[in-house]
Amino acid sequence: MSLPKMARLPSVRLLSSIQQQLLPSIAPLTEPRRAASRYEYRRPGEPKKDKYPFQPVNFSFSKGLEGIKKHFALLKKEVTDRWVGPEGKPLLEHMLEQNQVLWEFRGPESLKQWTVSSDHEIGGQSEAHLKLGRNNDTCFLYGTLSSTPPRDGETRYSGYCTMRSQQPLRSFDRKKHFDWSNFNTLHLRVRGDGRPWMINLATETYFSHQGDDMYNYFLYTRGGPYWQEVKIPFSKFFLTSRGRIQDSQHCVWLDKVNTIGFTLGDKADGPLPAGDRFHWRQQRLRSH
Amino acid sequence: MRCARCLLQLQCLRLVGQTARSAAQNGALLHSASSSQPNMLHNTQHQVLRRFHGSPVCAKMPPIPAEFIDEDGKKRDKSLVTRDDLFEQVAKDIKTKATFNKVVDVFIKQDVRRRGHVEFIYAALQKMPEFGVEKDLAIYNKLLDVFPKEVFVPRNFIQRMFNHYPRQQECGVQVLEQMENYGITPNMETKVLLVQIFGLKGHPVRKLQRLMYWFPKFKHTNPFPIPKELSEDPVDLARFSLTRITNDRDAKVTVYQLPCTDITESGEEITLPHVVGIQSPSQMELLAKHNPSRPVFVEGPFPLWLRKKCVYYYVLRADPTPPDEKVEEPYDPERCFYYSLQLDLDLDRDFGDEQSFNVEDLDEGPVFAMCMTGRGEQAVLNQWISGLQLNNPILGQVATLFRIDDGPKELLGAADTESDHHHRTDPDTRTEDRQHEGEAEVTVDEEPSRSQGIKQ
Repeated sequence: MSLPKMARLPSVRLLSSIQQQLLPSIAPLTEPRRAASRYEYRRPGEPKKDKYPFQPVNFSFSKGLEGIKKHFALLKKEVTDRWVGPEGKPLLEHMLEQNQVLWEFRGPESLKQWTVSSDHEIGGQSEAHLKLGRNNDTCFLYGTLSSTPPRDGETRYSGYCTMRSQQPLRSFDRKKHFDWSNFNTLHLRVRGDGRPWMINLATETYFSHQGDDMYNYFLYTRGGPYWQEVKIPFSKFFLTSRGRIQDSQHCVWLDKVNTIGFTLGDKADGPLPAGDRFHWRQQRLRSH
Repeated sequence: MRCARCLLQLQCLRLVGQTARSAAQNGALLHSASSSQPNMLHNTQHQVLRRFHGSPVCAKMPPIPAEFIDEDGKKRDKSLVTRDDLFEQVAKDIKTKATFNKVVDVFIKQDVRRRGHVEFIYAALQKMPEFGVEKDLAIYNKLLDVFPKEVFVPRNFIQRMFNHYPRQQECGVQVLEQMENYGITPNMETKVLLVQIFGLKGHPVRKLQRLMYWFPKFKHTNPFPIPKELSEDPVDLARFSLTRITNDRDAKVTVYQLPCTDITESGEEITLPHVVGIQSPSQMELLAKHNPSRPVFVEGPFPLWLRKKCVYYYVLRADPTPPDEKVEEPYDPERCFYYSLQLDLDLDRDFGDEQSFNVEDLDEGPVFAMCMTGRGEQAVLNQWISGLQLNNPILGQVATLFRIDDGPKELLGAADTESDHHHRTDPDTRTEDRQHEGEAEVTVDEEPSRSQGIKQ
């Protein structure tokens, strides 16, 4: 009755989930903390670091070899996938699928698809970390939220924690976009602690000055021990840029979605054990 | 000519002195006053009004009301923070809405020309949370009223095209932004004021229009609304939060103990905390089906945020049933005669929605009941469990383990973190660790003693 969902996952994750079932105690539960942001906070007035742009680049030979291996494997997959059908799925399956699981948390591999950051990068004092939940099939975002703005004379507001998916890349680090034009609803399975979140969809833009454009909507959590199923139609999302709602609104370019993010910034200072989410999928509304 | 000018100045003084009145009135007054003037006078009056900003004659020192000059006769220093000082001077220790209003009044009366009103408004915006008036629409309107009227309105297309009086407009926008941040919807008076001050197309008016467009749209987006004023009574608060997290209309809230203070014979004061629990019929059903040989856990405290308030709750739950113990319940076809409860269509399609997801029966183990209490001690929670036992006799046969953290302050989903540390240090001995953990911090509540207690 339903197509096997597991088959649509990349093989790596398939393997890891099988491994979990066999040896549940081996997989480490916490993902080592990754670099939160690309840029470090520079207090206004501080001198810029005197480094050439190529200095932080790692020119090691082994990294190059690994890169070649990875990119050619990706290229090969791209070429062969064409013969199977769109996005590597048979045409019939592609046409008939009603929902598609995009992110789910199964093992430590899945945490690598996410970047966690907080207002630390603008000089604030919030912290956020991501780890796998107890049963290895949920993820758990925790940290502290503090809305004290940095004392640099410029920043007026502060206090957010964010989790953002990574931009999918094709071979040779070319951008790839999610194509969700067959779907109309975002479907999340969430458990929160009562705080409101915001969902950010970042899409590819035409001009570079639109780079900060995002489509937002609210995610209200109920709190408590129960999981929530949240369905949000894409038509609900509104266009913002740098935190300001824009006057001229457009609908989301559903075939060019780059990342999805979740932001918490409700100005309620305190710990954030926001047993947040887990596993979501999107789905098309049925017509009846 | 000089005489006429003096007269007009006097008139202006009188007019501006009335600004404490409401804006609409004021505007009307201004209009009627100016329209009642003869034509030539009208023009000169405008000239006088325009001297509002930057007349060299009156630029010396703003007159300070006598009551606010220090006894020593010191004049105020000319530092940049004089506007903050005004707040400190006028409202010395009592910081209330009344004193805030008084400060604004003092400022308005201080100088006809409202010299330094932009700085004053910025200072006032910063001081608002201190005075506890940050959510008061009337105060915001009063602050906007500090702006001189009709001075910043662009008069021709060139002024309209360029940013007319940018500092003042920014300040106006800042007032609106603070309103936005505190979620206050502007009203008609705000709009009238802004139009009078900045004209119909100024930036602040645009900002107001944006607020008025989006605020009503987002007003009712929350499917789990929280009242603006949370109840102070802990029992009411507990009742509200428990019904919020249960997600079941049939769930019944039981108050096991009301908060009260007793004085024992020895004179000690004993405060009994409140114990409020909730359980839905389906949770009772789940608990009745629970295998008595497996223990149930009382866990907590877990945080729940209601706007800016954090409350804590405890849950009664069990570990997930292992797959070999799960019993598949066949559908009883006679349970419903109107439509079939099970569809066995074998179509070559994905029908999308999974219907199998049951909120109660988590993969993390079922939740049987929830409670909130004033003091998270085992003795208090035991009371809850024995109260639950009246309706759930199976609790008499099941061992109950308490996994409670010390105080609500140090909890952060501690069960998770703790087990995690163990994993990180020694992942191979996970199960053993669990057992040790259980022995160390968990007290096994001996079943017979509790049932005895209930009998007594």
